[in-house]
Amino acid sequence: MSTPEVAAAPLLGQPRLTDEDRARSRDRARVHNARRHSKRWYLLWLLVGPGILAMLGENDGPSMIAYAADGAQYGLGFFVPFIPVLFAMAYVCQEMCMRVGAVTHRGYGELVLQRYGRLWGWFGAGDLTLTNLVTLVAEFVSIRVGLAYFHLGAGVAVALGLALVAFTLSGGRYWRWERIVLGLALFNGLFLVAAILVKPHVGAIAGSFDFSPFPGGSFNTLLLLLASTIGATVTPWMIFFQQSASADKGMTPSDVKHGRYDTAAGAVLAAIFGLGALIAGAALLTHNGAGIEGFAGAGFPEALSHVAGGAVGTVFALGLIEAGAVAILTISASTAYAAGECVGASHSFNSSPRNAGVFYAANAGIALLAAAVILIPGAPLLSIALNANVLATVLLPVSLVFMVMLANDRGLMGAWVNRRSTNVIGIAVIAFVGLCGAAYGIDSFLQAIHLVGS
Amino acid sequence: MRTGAPPANDAQPVLLGNGAQPSPGIQEQDLQRQERFEDELIMDLERDQFVAETSRPVPRAVLSARVTAGLWALRVFVVIVSLMVIYTFVDQLH
Repeated sequence: MSTPEVAAAPLLGQPRLTDEDRARSRDRARVHNARRHSKRWYLLWLLVGPGILAMLGENDGPSMIAYAADGAQYGLGFFVPFIPVLFAMAYVCQEMCMRVGAVTHRGYGELVLQRYGRLWGWFGAGDLTLTNLVTLVAEFVSIRVGLAYFHLGAGVAVALGLALVAFTLSGGRYWRWERIVLGLALFNGLFLVAAILVKPHVGAIAGSFDFSPFPGGSFNTLLLLLASTIGATVTPWMIFFQQSASADKGMTPSDVKHGRYDTAAGAVLAAIFGLGALIAGAALLTHNGAGIEGFAGAGFPEALSHVAGGAVGTVFALGLIEAGAVAILTISASTAYAAGECVGASHSFNSSPRNAGVFYAANAGIALLAAAVILIPGAPLLSIALNANVLATVLLPVSLVFMVMLANDRGLMGAWVNRRSTNVIGIAVIAFVGLCGAAYGIDSFLQAIHLVGS
Repeated sequence: MRTGAPPANDAQPVLLGNGAQPSPGIQEQDLQRQERFEDELIMDLERDQFVAETSRPVPRAVLSARVTAGLWALRVFVVIVSLMVIYTFVDQLH
């Protein structure tokens, strides 16, 4: 990738470094010091971030509502083992993103655009913007649902979401942004607290690892469940985000091992917290999901407080607020990275708003747009929230195919290309995701035009 | 693409604490200190991590006709299924 002549260029001119280089260099200096002095835990602390944020960011409002709805309608069987399997799939995809970002120091959007042509790059950015906008609306809905439990309205939800975006963007450093969002993301553990508070039967949880009983209901309902649960685990924004964030953080091939720890830790935490939402939701199973049907999942905190006590409802409501807030930050960031990469403008949290106007404008702009949607009177917010994951699942295969192509590109990756086993799993994931998304899309469409019965 | 040259505002003029212009001797010392500091910073980045380097586009890959056809087929398929999902979503609203 680099030549000595090119690399030497910054050493010769005046000024030598950009603000972005300086900020990244300071972060790298700490990594080098930690490595030099064998401070293993400190090194891990410095290098975790993008993986955990991608995974916990995907444990967003719609996803947690989807898991809780699965539990409330079908119980623990099937989903207790299915959710960890999905996060194992997510690990395979996200590890590739991290590795490509660390080796090439470039984001997903710019690599697709430069390597395979502008058309494919813009297609990817278009898919991302569409799914991100829909998902961001769903995140504001999630915050609104959580706040509604405390008798607070949509205006507060919008103000809270936008204030967080403004606050995290104000530092001009990737490190600051990452640590603030990481701190918030750990409150995703509230769903685990909710699960413990409903006092689940441990034997029933352990006994459900045999994928039974298989969810009943119509074929279309099953497909919807699969598509929305997959969309709750792997999405296009995660691919853009983790690769770009790994590059922005300044990760290098020597950090790939820690990047894998980071991604694996994110997958494990996200699976545990997702199971927490499922188990908390399953407390409503014996009540036939009473209280959630009319509100399409939005009544969970209230329904849980009636069935399992006020503390569970409060914790679940706070969890929804946290899940929505963190996802707003990470999804807005992925849009900003994609926008900067596709138009060729500076795209780093280490750049100032003056030097990276497109990046900061896209970050704040998409959050503002989504916030404006939820203030429209009569907008079908809950339908948008429920369909956000499905749309992400349908559009995901294209992003994954380019991800696998990049990770196999020896010209870019050198010795860091995918192993054969990674390719086999990656292709299986693409086929599975594509099949579930397409089957649901086609079956639903045929029902909508009355060619098949429900 | 980002331009290789760093933004102009990166060149910080050396000012004393009270905002007065420094004498030539002091300015020289500060510039040398700044250079040493930046040399140390440069050592912490890999060569291809500099903005000037990542701003250079990677060469275009040559895709075979079969791969290109496969990508287009997948793209058309995904667009059709997405339209179906959007149609169903709108239909369910009524």
